[in-house]
Amino acid sequence: MGNEESPQITRRATRLSSSTPVTSNEVETEKITKPYKLTVNDFVFGGEKLSFNDLLSSFPARGNQIRELLRLLGPVNSPMLPLFVYGDPSTGKTSTILQIFRHLNRPFVYASCLTCYSLQILFESVLDQLLLHNKNAANGYSSARRCVKPSDFVNFLRGDLTSVIEKLKSLKKVGPNKSAGKPSGNMLYLIFDNLELIREWDKSSTALSFMFNLYDVLKMHEVGLIFISNTSPDTYYSNMGYTEHVPVYFPEYTEDDLRQILMRNQPNRKLYSSFLDVVLRPFCRTTRRVDELSTAFSPLFRKYCEPLSDLASVPNEEMKRRLFSHFRPHIAPSLNEIFWVPSKSSTEAETNKDTTLKGSTRKSEVGDHFAQIDFHMSTSAKYLLISAFLASRNPATLDASLFDSTGGSDSRKRKRKASEKSIEQKEVAEQELLMKGPGTFPLERLLAIFQCITSAADSFDEDEHENDDLRAGGDGGLMSDVLLQLSSLCNANFIIKGGSCPLEGSTRYRSTVSEDLALKVARSLKFPLPNYLYRR
Amino acid sequence: MGTENLAEKAQILIRSRLCSPNFIFKPLSDSSDSNYSKLKFIISSSITEACNNSILLLGPRGSGKVAVLELVLSDLLEEYPDTITVIRLNGLLHSEDNSALKEIARQLCMEHHLLFSKMASFDDNSQFMIAMLRECGLAHKTVIFALDEFDLFAQAVVVGVSCRLDADQLLEKRVRSRFSHRKLLFLPPSKEDVQRLLEHILSLPMDSSLACDYAAEFNEKLQSILADKRFKEIISNYLNSNSTTNHLLRFLFIAISNMDLKSGFLSLENFKAALSSIQRQPKQECIKDCSILELYILVCMKRLEVREQNSYNFSSVMKEYKSVHDSFPTSDYYAQNVCLRAFEHLLQRELICFADNRGHTQSIEFRQVKLVVSYAELQEGLKSYRSCPAILLKLIDR
Repeated sequence: MGNEESPQITRRATRLSSSTPVTSNEVETEKITKPYKLTVNDFVFGGEKLSFNDLLSSFPARGNQIRELLRLLGPVNSPMLPLFVYGDPSTGKTSTILQIFRHLNRPFVYASCLTCYSLQILFESVLDQLLLHNKNAANGYSSARRCVKPSDFVNFLRGDLTSVIEKLKSLKKVGPNKSAGKPSGNMLYLIFDNLELIREWDKSSTALSFMFNLYDVLKMHEVGLIFISNTSPDTYYSNMGYTEHVPVYFPEYTEDDLRQILMRNQPNRKLYSSFLDVVLRPFCRTTRRVDELSTAFSPLFRKYCEPLSDLASVPNEEMKRRLFSHFRPHIAPSLNEIFWVPSKSSTEAETNKDTTLKGSTRKSEVGDHFAQIDFHMSTSAKYLLISAFLASRNPATLDASLFDSTGGSDSRKRKRKASEKSIEQKEVAEQELLMKGPGTFPLERLLAIFQCITSAADSFDEDEHENDDLRAGGDGGLMSDVLLQLSSLCNANFIIKGGSCPLEGSTRYRSTVSEDLALKVARSLKFPLPNYLYRR
Repeated sequence: MGTENLAEKAQILIRSRLCSPNFIFKPLSDSSDSNYSKLKFIISSSITEACNNSILLLGPRGSGKVAVLELVLSDLLEEYPDTITVIRLNGLLHSEDNSALKEIARQLCMEHHLLFSKMASFDDNSQFMIAMLRECGLAHKTVIFALDEFDLFAQAVVVGVSCRLDADQLLEKRVRSRFSHRKLLFLPPSKEDVQRLLEHILSLPMDSSLACDYAAEFNEKLQSILADKRFKEIISNYLNSNSTTNHLLRFLFIAISNMDLKSGFLSLENFKAALSSIQRQPKQECIKDCSILELYILVCMKRLEVREQNSYNFSSVMKEYKSVHDSFPTSDYYAQNVCLRAFEHLLQRELICFADNRGHTQSIEFRQVKLVVSYAELQEGLKSYRSCPAILLKLIDR
């Protein structure tokens, strides 16, 4: 369930503390980091061993990486070549490194390219932290230094780093580090997280080669650089200035590692272990990310425990079997969905329709229990959805023949013709359809189809009073109502507003609804959708 | 405790050596035909003869061009303390006129308290520099101008540093002629040089704060390692891919970090471990990180490519996935949304990427994608995957 929780929380806490610009210096470091230090670094000398164990135990399955990083960081005050730490998302790169620094008690500056989303902000954030500058109302939330160009940044950085390192050195002279809060050593480490995002920035190639060459440009031995990236170093290769750094790789967790991680912080370990026996292997085949697995497991575990009266009981073999037979039907459907809609199990669906519906668009193949899902949409919205789907699927040239009362036979003829075509040609057409995706359509066409199918639906079954309502709406205030519905469908992402057509200048729309969902909606309206679909 | 302390000191010493290029390139510059001597000769002669000179230092990245230049400059600064002003510009930082001029002015003012009024007379000269800087900036190479300042018009030494051997071809004709034949090539160190370098970097000094007998023992062990055939194999294996000095330094850095502080001496294992940790195969690692479903998607894409269907997107991959599953039913058949998530993971991992940057309005399912792993890599990866389903290996083979 919340296994990943404790590292996550601490990580966030450290991130927070590192983003408040106080990490790298004497007094402030003491203040800020004291709460953590009490747990991890209470002793100065004798506690070293223990805290290392704490570090290891808080990151199961990361022992090798922690040891490797500690070796590369080296003893106090030893210069370091830049490190390049990489691995998939949610493999614990950032949290491991930050915890290592907590363990080592060394000063560092952390900047993430995710929060600092441009070069200028990144530069200014680093400089702010170095200068212990706090953005607040008094200074109008401005940075200490305005710094846009890399050349300015290097000059500022050099100056600021020197002064900080001087302070660290003088601190050491004043008292040999006896208190726990004082940073040890006079090395300062700069940590740049989410480096892969720089590739999407403006002037990314110069920015990247600048970042990679920062160590050579600075030429300062007291500075250690650590880059953290989600993607491997080979994705940075380009013909411009990629300098290799010392690689540290965080592999994705194996099944056993995942079990260890998920077992952490579980109140009833035996019960959870028997639960993991059932679910971990099948789920691991689809994804190996801790975050995704833990969110998938937390509701499942609740379901698993449902027959139990006492959650603290230790399951025996017989009970495990019983739990399993109760639980088994839930595994397959949950494997095939990527998020959980809490209202789904309770059939009185009172929750917001957007999530339910969006969930069901994605979960279009899940099967029978979705057939009963109730669409909380007004009838006209449903018709609008169907007409958007038709407009996206069918070629515009066929509209007349499809919706004309005399056109029915015509379309059937076309269908036969299509089937007479050689298989090869058909395949090519199918391929094209797959590649192109849903087509776009202007608003006018949507409204025309909408009117056609609502009137057609009326003729299908006269006594459906919903349709009477609709007709009343449709005939009277059609435009305003329908446009309102359209905008809400756009908001729910069923219909996407595309770019405007360069020739006509009007906005074009595109329907994202899958065929299954459209058919389901049509079924709920008793609307014969398949008759209107042009089959290629 | 004693050895540990000593070992730590030794480690710090060697690590700081590895991080200071000045130390590393010292021994390589002794001989008279080294780049160091040549460069020093050219620059010092132009200082003494008060003539105009330009030199290009060319060589692969990490071969110590800047380090040698810095060595020369620091020596010359000692020799002629009053007559030299060094202005260091970097193509990465100062590739545009504005920042370059500003930087030149800044460095000049800082070093010599030059008045800004002098900038005007300096302008013609700097115009020339900027022109070249722009060209070199295109190649994003470090450009260092050592400008001799006592006659601003006639006597300037321009030293350009680039890792592109054709850097002079990038220059304007007028500029290129100035570099005429003064090019210094930096070649990777020879085998003997590597050996000398290793000894130079790794052996401890006998006359330092380190205990003498420890240093002696350390050096003795080191000698035996250096003489070891297996060690030579490791080194030559490593330098096969890239034999520049920086590359070697990175390797040594990891080896030194691996040093066991308890025993206090380097061992062959340290170097072996360093080799395995620095020679990475990122694509293989990525494939190993995949889940089974992600592998299925990769294999399906590969099959599409083998069939010479050169453009495909998620939907067509899904179609292939379905047909694969129809012919070989397994339990690994998942709903489209789960597959889409796996697909997104692959995109994030950059095992696949979008074929073009257009079509941002389209949803991911319909954007064209392509594989960025080769057939061999994928096959290799599947074979070494821990519990790879046999069916996948079968599917990729045909």
